[in-house]
Amino acid sequence: MQVQRSTSRRISIAFAALTALALVSTSMPANAFSPHSEVGVSGSTIKLGISVPLTGAAAPGYNKVPYAMKAYFDYVNANGGVNGRKIQLVIKDDAYSPALAKSVTNDLVLKDKVFALVGTLGTADNEATTKFVNDHKVPRLFINTGFSGFASAKKYPTTFPLFPSYAMEAKIMGKYIADNFPGKKVALIYQDDDFGADALKGFATAGTTFVAKIPYVSASQSDPTVVGKWIGTIVQSQADVAIMFGVSSATAAALGGAYKAGLAGKVQWILGSVGSDPTTIKTLAPTALPLLTGAIAASFLPSPADSSDPYVKLFQDVNAKYNNNAVFDNNVLVGMNTAMLTVQALRAAGKNLTRASLMAAISSKGSTWASAAFSPILYSGTSHVGYSGYWFGRLSGNGDSTPVDGAGKYVLYTTDSGSGAVVKATINRPALPEKGLPNN
Amino acid sequence: MLHIWGIEMKTILETLLIGVSSGSIYSLMALALVLVWRSTRVVNFAQAGQAIISTYIGYESMKHLHSYWYSVLVAIVAGAILGAAVEAFVMRPLAKRVRGSAAADIAPVIATLGILGLIRGVAGLIWGNTFVQYTSPLSGKGYTFGSTTIQFSPQNAAIVIGAALVMAAFAIIFNFTKLGLALRASSFQPEISRLAGIRVDRIRVIGWACAGAAGAVAGALVTPTAYLSPNSLDLLLVSGFVAAVIGGLDSLVGAGIGGVVLGIGFAFILQYIGASVTFLAAFIILIFVLLVKPAGIMGKSGGRSA
Amino acid sequence: MHKRISSLARLGIFAAIGLVLIALSGFVDELRVYQGAEVAVYVVAIASITLLTGYSGQLSLGHGAIMAIGAYAATLAFNGWHIPWMAALAVGALAGAVAGYILGFAAARLSGPYLAGTTLALAVGIPSLANQFHVLGGEQGLTFDIGDVPTWASHSWLAKIGHGDFTTYKWFYWITVPIALATIWVVRNILTGPIGRRFKAMRSNPTAASLIGIRVSSTKVAAFTYSSSLAGLAGAMLAMILGLSAPLVFTLTLSFTLVTGAVLSGVSNLYGGIIGAMVLVAIPELSASVATHLGGSEKVTANLPGVVTSLLLILTVLILPNGARVRRSK
Repeated sequence: MQVQRSTSRRISIAFAALTALALVSTSMPANAFSPHSEVGVSGSTIKLGISVPLTGAAAPGYNKVPYAMKAYFDYVNANGGVNGRKIQLVIKDDAYSPALAKSVTNDLVLKDKVFALVGTLGTADNEATTKFVNDHKVPRLFINTGFSGFASAKKYPTTFPLFPSYAMEAKIMGKYIADNFPGKKVALIYQDDDFGADALKGFATAGTTFVAKIPYVSASQSDPTVVGKWIGTIVQSQADVAIMFGVSSATAAALGGAYKAGLAGKVQWILGSVGSDPTTIKTLAPTALPLLTGAIAASFLPSPADSSDPYVKLFQDVNAKYNNNAVFDNNVLVGMNTAMLTVQALRAAGKNLTRASLMAAISSKGSTWASAAFSPILYSGTSHVGYSGYWFGRLSGNGDSTPVDGAGKYVLYTTDSGSGAVVKATINRPALPEKGLPNN
Repeated sequence: MLHIWGIEMKTILETLLIGVSSGSIYSLMALALVLVWRSTRVVNFAQAGQAIISTYIGYESMKHLHSYWYSVLVAIVAGAILGAAVEAFVMRPLAKRVRGSAAADIAPVIATLGILGLIRGVAGLIWGNTFVQYTSPLSGKGYTFGSTTIQFSPQNAAIVIGAALVMAAFAIIFNFTKLGLALRASSFQPEISRLAGIRVDRIRVIGWACAGAAGAVAGALVTPTAYLSPNSLDLLLVSGFVAAVIGGLDSLVGAGIGGVVLGIGFAFILQYIGASVTFLAAFIILIFVLLVKPAGIMGKSGGRSA
Repeated sequence: MHKRISSLARLGIFAAIGLVLIALSGFVDELRVYQGAEVAVYVVAIASITLLTGYSGQLSLGHGAIMAIGAYAATLAFNGWHIPWMAALAVGALAGAVAGYILGFAAARLSGPYLAGTTLALAVGIPSLANQFHVLGGEQGLTFDIGDVPTWASHSWLAKIGHGDFTTYKWFYWITVPIALATIWVVRNILTGPIGRRFKAMRSNPTAASLIGIRVSSTKVAAFTYSSSLAGLAGAMLAMILGLSAPLVFTLTLSFTLVTGAVLSGVSNLYGGIIGAMVLVAIPELSASVATHLGGSEKVTANLPGVVTSLLLILTVLILPNGARVRRSK
């Protein structure tokens, strides 16, 4: 035993020493020499960072977003970059855990020394890094969450959310139902957290009343028993219209369960934008297909299957050339669109790029930039609200969403997160810049 | 509709059927854990990972075989081989090193957690962290009686029947074959078995292989009702372990009973209380069962030390 | 072990070590300071496992849930009663102790894998409660912001050692490191005292222990209570450095990580917990840098860190199954 004991001790000392060495060596400044004074910006590069779930239960789907962003950046880099600088995107896995999101964000900002964070995902994950990001004045652009709180410029001075808030979406959906399904019985399935609470607030403002309100706990949708319960409640409530306001996996589960219960053709489904990507739903629940066809979905981006849309067409081409031709779905579209806005923000901040100039550029010029969404962008000196509107499409089984009034007839509804009215707005989307390369 | 005390009979029956169906899957997972526990006294957390790999292999083989049922057979064989490999190459060397030390009970558990992580990573390397469909030819649409459709489909029926067949097969092997006798003997009295000429190491590998096969059946049957990803069977492992503990970790029959009890319990909790309390309810069920019978429903009286 | 050093003298030594560690925070960058705070949190959490498993022989897979209880209790107390953060951390420890006391009664009757299975259900069940009760803030959790660094700290003579700003992370480090050292000191005193002797007797031979008059079940309850109060404290500390309590923080993975850390530390070795905690914090970073050097496709960069971490874990258990340091108790 004595021998083994001393061997073990030696190994343990070596182990500890190695660990210490590794920690010290990785803490050396990465690149002390830099001709430019701003963090993450050199004469020839701009370094951006993103933390997203690449592994774990939340990874499927979301893990496509950062690679789509990278593909678009590569496309821009191949065409000269931004003011002569190439964009690098450092991608880190947070497995959807706020604790990991915090430590990888520390890494991104302090070790990789990124200039800005882009497209970071998840409400709790973004919340956990907020104080740090605020303290270091790191710009956090176009974050991937619809929690309305992030639009507060006072609490989140460096954060620019992009997506319309869940409250806006619910209010718009309520208005759409009042206009198109007057007097019908409506049931609602929603996620039982801030996502859902925001939605309930929006529906309340719109005056929508429900014959059944079904809260669900995130992750519980993988249990078929849970889904059976939702559908049972909808059947009992004799609803004519069912709203599914949840994530993709829950939406797929609900539609699959409804098919199982023989509800196809009996209830009109209306799907929220978060969970209505048909490509994802088809993979998650192939049985949901009969119900997917004919369901109405709210979106702010064009349908990823609509190649006649110039933005979609461009992104599909970039996807084929720079993204190993990944399955082109809403996640890829969101990633490319986020990247395109990022490039415009970097261009607008000028040759003498700083964190302050970047944020100032978004506030002053962000509302004019080209983006694939039909909704206008509302960034201003006083507002950090991005998109504010939705259109409604009818889904076909192949993943295409056609405007409810017919192909090409997009009708946009816009509103705010508060008590403002829902209005039908004309679509005034900036034209796609030549070859999809921003020239702002 | 028939009502008793204001509760709709159809809902009760439906909940019961769904509970039995999901409970059958828990039973299979519990069976796999019990088989490993009996042969090597290890709680095998890698079981979920092993089942993921065998299910992916089933999914791949279906591309070539064009038959779900043949692919299930392939998955079972793959599961058995993987189980045997884990025991022979990791668990056995480890067991020899830790025998009698302070970490003897815990080091193997940590090793199985390591293997679980390794397998999930390898599955992600090969198949990516994305959802894939592994479809069965059976309909996912519930059976219809007159004008009502219930939430119980042919695939659910296949799950219940498949689980029952596996249970029956193991019952026969354990009670009526020489191998079964050896498996039983070596788990309770390894030293005496060795003296009696039973090759204990080989028997342990067989125990792990049987467990791998049972886990593979669970993965291959449940996946068509949902989807496959490197993490898709994680919660099944927890349910399976809870079921095994309810039933008694030493009892094959207990695994079957524990799984179905848990499945029905979950189904009714979901129906009448809500999803966020299911595992807390499982905890309370466990406490009640174990306070009455500290070694599970089918366990020998008196707690068994690890 | 140097048995001759009195516990008061050891307190002096620990205080000196604490001062040195805090002074060192002036010489390392912010990233390492935060990791230092993470290590301190893990030291307390691993000590809670060591106390339970190493000395009383019970295995809990549910300490992540106890940490969640401590975190939420501390957060609610801090936000609701507007008490100082130090009192909030104490509330976290107290809540953990209460939970552990209740759990201990069940645990006292269960052994080995039966306890593991029960606590596993707890680990999954407790965090999802946050979605059931709105006061717990749902999926998004509750914020726990202790505010800016107080001037007495940032203007103290200790803060003038070294260079760099006095960041929030440095403040977290200042708070957590002394707590971790104090934890080790307290636990060591418990273990060398009469309670510790009862724990050891119970672990090595429960029957003999009961023959010499040790009430095994109440000793187990005591072990669970002490252990859980540390887990509650660790949970509250984690919530503080993260700035929030959310269900996604206290996953099953966390419970497993803690047991892993305890094994890497050599289960019954209190000081080994420091090495275990350092390894837990270092491994993800090391694996990620290995993965970056090897490069490759999306699948590789996403999954290689997990593969490397798991391989390291398996190899460590195979090569050093009794932890980084062997200390066999006869």
